[in-house]
Amino acid sequence: MSAYVPAMTFHPQPEPGTPTPWAFPAPDRLALANGLTVLHCDRPGQQLVAIEVLLDAPLAAEPEGLDGVATILARALSEGTDTLTAEEFAGELERAGATLDAHADHPCIRVILEVPASRLERGLTLLADALRAPALPADEIERLVANRLDEIVHEQANPARRAAKALYADLFAAADRLSRPRSGTAETVKGIDRAAVQAFYAAHVRPTTATLVVVGDLTGVDLPAMLESTLGRWTGEKAEPSTAAAVTADDRGRVIIVDRPGSVQTQVLIGRIGPDRHDPDWAAQILGTYCLGGTLTSRLDKVLREEKGYTYGVRAFAQPLRSNADGSGRALLAISGSVDTASTAPALADTWTILRTLAAEGLTDSEREEAVQFLVGVAPLKYETAGSVAATLADQVEQHLPDDYQAEVYRLLAALDTAAATEAVVAAFPPERLVTVLVGDASVIADEVKELGIGEVTVVAN
Amino acid sequence: MANPAPASDNGGIAITEHRLANGLRVVLSEDHLTPVAAVCLWYDVGSRHEVKGRTGLAHLFEHLMFQGSANVSNNGHFELVQGAGGSLNGTTSFERTNYFETMPTHQLELALWLEADRMGSLLAALDDASMENQRDVVKNERRQRYDNVPYGTAFEKLTALSFPGEHPYHHTPIGSMADLDAATLEDARTFFRTYYAPNNAVLSVVGDIDPEQTIAWVEKYFGSIPAHDGKQPPRDGTLPETMGQEVRELIEEEVPSRALMAAYRLPHDGSREADAADLALTVLGSGESSRLYNRLVRRDRTAVSAGFGLLRLAGAPSLGWLDVKTSGEATIQQIELAVDEELARFATDGPTAEELERAQAQIEREWLDRLTTVAGRADELCRYAVLFGDPKLVNSALGKVLDVTAEEVKAVAAARLRPDNRAVLVYEPLPDTAAANDAAEEDAA
Repeated sequence: MSAYVPAMTFHPQPEPGTPTPWAFPAPDRLALANGLTVLHCDRPGQQLVAIEVLLDAPLAAEPEGLDGVATILARALSEGTDTLTAEEFAGELERAGATLDAHADHPCIRVILEVPASRLERGLTLLADALRAPALPADEIERLVANRLDEIVHEQANPARRAAKALYADLFAAADRLSRPRSGTAETVKGIDRAAVQAFYAAHVRPTTATLVVVGDLTGVDLPAMLESTLGRWTGEKAEPSTAAAVTADDRGRVIIVDRPGSVQTQVLIGRIGPDRHDPDWAAQILGTYCLGGTLTSRLDKVLREEKGYTYGVRAFAQPLRSNADGSGRALLAISGSVDTASTAPALADTWTILRTLAAEGLTDSEREEAVQFLVGVAPLKYETAGSVAATLADQVEQHLPDDYQAEVYRLLAALDTAAATEAVVAAFPPERLVTVLVGDASVIADEVKELGIGEVTVVAN
Repeated sequence: MANPAPASDNGGIAITEHRLANGLRVVLSEDHLTPVAAVCLWYDVGSRHEVKGRTGLAHLFEHLMFQGSANVSNNGHFELVQGAGGSLNGTTSFERTNYFETMPTHQLELALWLEADRMGSLLAALDDASMENQRDVVKNERRQRYDNVPYGTAFEKLTALSFPGEHPYHHTPIGSMADLDAATLEDARTFFRTYYAPNNAVLSVVGDIDPEQTIAWVEKYFGSIPAHDGKQPPRDGTLPETMGQEVRELIEEEVPSRALMAAYRLPHDGSREADAADLALTVLGSGESSRLYNRLVRRDRTAVSAGFGLLRLAGAPSLGWLDVKTSGEATIQQIELAVDEELARFATDGPTAEELERAQAQIEREWLDRLTTVAGRADELCRYAVLFGDPKLVNSALGKVLDVTAEEVKAVAAARLRPDNRAVLVYEPLPDTAAANDAAEEDAA
């Protein structure tokens, strides 16, 4: 190796300047005459306005045997209205430079519109028509059902999707809607027709139990008047908001291998359940989980990626599943990534060592410091766009959290000490109570995984 | 119905340009809406500069740029930026390699110091351990993104068919496993010495900045890095405007459904014809009101998804990317017949006035979306500076697309969207795959 002498002049690492104060934006609330709740937030300069609608149509409300009807309804909302055919509706949206997406998840159906500020009224009119008077045409629904059946085959072949399906099926009780795919199985989707979609719409889509979130540059917009003349035309009977059933899960340590012969990598998904965002330790758990697996300098990637090269990256995270105002909701806690087939057992062994070391020795002050600096410091750029602010406000509504929740999380994070973060992450990821799903070549990985002692190993066909 | 108002009427992005004595081009743009600043550095090197037997080197090298330099420890780049509340990454394409940090305003100077340190002194830290580790990481990136997912290698295969033989765009940035294995530490060092020079880069800084202070910092940290001129231009990527005859490959492997993919040879990025092609592909295959979606997904019901995308390339012909996954028992022949019919009809009639208006509105929204963040703006400024020589072109880019006429869209479709101007990739599932999937439906656990 030749001695290398850089020719440049070096200077000491610069010191930071004075931070500019920043706080997560506080939304204003209003209610339309039809009972629709509105959260709105002016973000000057954000020319793409983001609008989210939360419909109180939880998956648990789907009729027995019709899993997937909420998903088909969500998609059917943009398949024409009382005045426009499906093709015309799609054309009008595009003509306004807008996008409209809708998906059904356990807590509710979310409809998301993005539209340039200059065409806000047109976008809101189309959104209102989709909610107020969707045509739900039989032939388009038949097509959406056929599409969904095709998609299931594609999802089954995707290792990450396959792993999630296997984990949810095993972690939750069979009777709980959480145990079954959000968009249904081939068997249930086949039974969905216009009548079923129409009935689900009639039972669950109404302004009094819905919430609208509007974020973007609203300069010069008389928002209340514009909303009354668009979404205000949506009518429906009053109804009580739904409540979510308690979540129970069996997280005794075990391993499920979904056999995928010939896989060059193993998809790894390690999960269990924990409290949702109402938990007083949620901020501490965010902090600790980031130190465990939030980035490539976190504990997991420091070893699995940057020392061993087993993976392109592994992440630890928490994802709320179903929430209530009383705090009885639950979240999925998980570690996820993929490793080359030969490194499967060694990567799992290292993961368990990392978790045990974390429990025994705790986090360091410098880890805590760097994590707080990142999580709090990155907020202004994380929330630069209207879409990201709208999504977080909608999450808060969906999870029955107060409007200042996210702002409060940042205040809490800044004040947390290392011990609190350690305690929370150790409680979140106990090594003996983790369900491990591996989607990979069982003939190569099963024997070595059995020897790890991380739980009984079951092999299932893909 | 009344015409919608135009989506934006602002006067564009305020831009100032500088050039340091060592050749580093600097583009600044001030915007104080949010207390953040984006730093973006484009090096004029991509996979098209790689030589035979060393595919993937530009991308592997990009990973090595995060492994420390004279004053930054291994992984220190990530630790320092994230520890300052910033986000960062790097990406490699055919034509360039970019590195970017978005920082809270008061930490901007740190990002400039870090970028300068690795531009000037990477080789002080680069060693075998980093090389071996990142080689494994990149191989796992390749497995995760391409080799272990259905149709994952389609991009690589279709690119190879589109750019034959020794063409510099024949291989994609991820490279081959064999070449990744073959790359040596000395290759990486030579690559750095050849391409990583201030006179082969453009730096943009966008956001809540004081331009005078910013240029003073840039001068302080980057100014002493010596220029050098060891760079070899990429091999010539000149090709005839059209292919002349179709190339086709049939893949039989374990995939969930049949698929028809194709790449059409299109005009170079930066030309008016490329914008016309963008509009043609948008009308034909972008979104749920497009002709192919309406025909294949809505009416014929032969496809689960159908669309067109545009891979804009400046140093070689751009590619129009067709991707159709079949539904149920539909055959490739049915799909192909319908696609060719739609393309022929479009080449004859061109877009309707309403279709053109919709396509322009979609492209306008995508453009707003890209420029909505300081990081997005910083990247676009570098793009126009590196590929087209002038960052100010960013302010006229959208206007050019909105100025294209239906006649021009029709003309480019007629000239380029023809069966004899495409590479085709057909996927047929192996006979037992479908059966295996049916059986799997039943065992959710």
